[in-house]
Amino acid sequence: MSGQPSSLAAAPPREPERQGAAVIETTALTKRYPGPVTALDELTVTVAPGITGLVGANGAGKSTLIKILLGLLQPTGGRAMVLGADCVRDGERIRALTGYMPEHDCLPPDVTATEFVTHLGRMSGLPATAAKERAAESLRHVGLYEERYRQIGTYSTGMKQRVKLAQALVGDPRLLLLDEPTVGLDPAGRNSMLELIARVGAEFGMSIVVASHLLGEIERICDHLVAIEAGRLLRADTITSMTRASQVLLIEVDEGADRLLAELTRRGLQPRPFERAVLVGLDGDETYDAVRDAVADLGLPLNRLEQRRRRVEELFRDETPEASGVG
Amino acid sequence: MSAEAGVIHDIGYRRYTGRRLGRAQIVRALYGHSLRSAFGLGRGAKAKIVPVIAFVVMCLPAIANAVAVANGQARIVPYDTYTFQLRVVVMIIFIAAQAPELVSRDLRSHVLPLYFCRPMRRLDYPVAKLAAFITACLLIIEIPLLLLYVGTIAQLHGGSAIWSQTRALIPGLLVGLMWAVLLAAIGLALASLSGRRAYATGAIAIYFFLTWILAGILIAVTQRNVVRAVVVRPPKGAPPPPGAPPGGPPGTFVGHEITQVPTTAAHLSGLVSPFTTLDGVRQWLGGTSVGPLPGVGGYGALYGAMFLVLLAVCLGGLAARYRKAGGL
Repeated sequence: MSGQPSSLAAAPPREPERQGAAVIETTALTKRYPGPVTALDELTVTVAPGITGLVGANGAGKSTLIKILLGLLQPTGGRAMVLGADCVRDGERIRALTGYMPEHDCLPPDVTATEFVTHLGRMSGLPATAAKERAAESLRHVGLYEERYRQIGTYSTGMKQRVKLAQALVGDPRLLLLDEPTVGLDPAGRNSMLELIARVGAEFGMSIVVASHLLGEIERICDHLVAIEAGRLLRADTITSMTRASQVLLIEVDEGADRLLAELTRRGLQPRPFERAVLVGLDGDETYDAVRDAVADLGLPLNRLEQRRRRVEELFRDETPEASGVG
Repeated sequence: MSAEAGVIHDIGYRRYTGRRLGRAQIVRALYGHSLRSAFGLGRGAKAKIVPVIAFVVMCLPAIANAVAVANGQARIVPYDTYTFQLRVVVMIIFIAAQAPELVSRDLRSHVLPLYFCRPMRRLDYPVAKLAAFITACLLIIEIPLLLLYVGTIAQLHGGSAIWSQTRALIPGLLVGLMWAVLLAAIGLALASLSGRRAYATGAIAIYFFLTWILAGILIAVTQRNVVRAVVVRPPKGAPPPPGAPPGGPPGTFVGHEITQVPTTAAHLSGLVSPFTTLDGVRQWLGGTSVGPLPGVGGYGALYGAMFLVLLAVCLGGLAARYRKAGGL
């Protein structure tokens, strides 16, 4: 996904009410399973309103964190608050205000999307008529209005993911917890799912936490990023502050990338190989000149020369080379 | 996409400002939904076949009784045992078919996390399901009893005749309640073990049928056959038949009479099956109609205990199952 243009990064401005208090706050949150396995290790993190990416490799503790936030799992130590409510004491209240989209398949094949989402709307506490209306509306928002009377078993993977999102939306939650919402989707399906999530965050006034192991993907739609690894906080910041760091120049040559790397180093730059291209920090026109000269001197076939923002993925790679699972 | 559809899509998001129901009402909604699905309501025609047939077949004795009573006979079906064999078969089929409908489907498609992430508690789900299934079994058992009652009193005149029917009906209804509670609990506990519907149905049917047949066999083989010679005595004062030895047996041997006398083992055999356990409890509590169990001897309390143990095991099993099942 790293080659995708960041067309979604520029989300519309947020509503003012969403710049309020923290949506999620954990303090030294720890969860140990017998084994002993430490799933969360003194995790202290604050999630502000908006769309937040929760990234980490599989097994980093994302699912454990979500379970604790929903009040379904008792932490071994520390404290977690969601929307101002304590996760241990007020689990029910939190669950009434939160929509959850599980990672795994959770849909019965022999029921229509309307019936299913309506039923789960009732389970969210909506009266019968309201549940019907909200189910139709949720399915419309996720783009399944025309197909809503079809049995879920006949849906494509992308449509099923949308039903999962619709059931999370049906109770009109204030917070959405989405666990790997793009899992199993093809690139086009991933893009439209991400677009949908960005739209829900921007227009519906809901805060969203998107858990994913694909950093390159969710950075496009997130305002904030929380990276965890082995149950510990790796980094938490806004996307802009993470990517503001510096501008880079991407140089793609058809061949001889290693020679270019050596030549640029000789000229006093600090190039890095990135996929099949070379990245070099941008310090004004001199950098362009140096690159131009290096390519010309070596006689390499230049394919692409592109100024771009540093991707968060690369930032993580810089600072935590061992975190190979991230991204 | 047509321009019209585009317009529909552009309606913005509207927040829900209406009433929100609490946990108790959510559980009640789940109860209602599960009760409907126990009879295949809200699903296709195929889902209704078994519940409808079970209900109709269960009503047949009551209808036959109504016809007989209308023709001047006394009530032919007892309230407390109804038609025992038929009730056993119908309940096995109904439970084996419908208990998986309530719990196995949700397990199969991993829907449980979607319940547990909503404002209810873990055990609310099995509680709602069990309450719904008990109600469903109750409807299958008690409505025929009420038909039996109505069909009988329709031909009766006089308050005392109707009152005596009512007095006989009430224990019958209570026996039906015991049946519904125990059988529904066993059915759901077994069904919750598997997400595969066929396995769940198979497990329930095999458990109920096997134990029922086993109890029948055990009761049959543990009864002692008592053979008595049947002798016809001549009336007093009549002269002895010619050729009879003086002082010899004063009668004529006409054949053997075999009676079955239940042994202790026979009294206890009923503990094997839930159906004979239910019958044991009925007889212990004073039920007089003839059931499959040839009396409980002095072991009535044991049947009561067995009933409670079975129930406790099933409820505990259900609770344990849902405490960890579908843990997101």
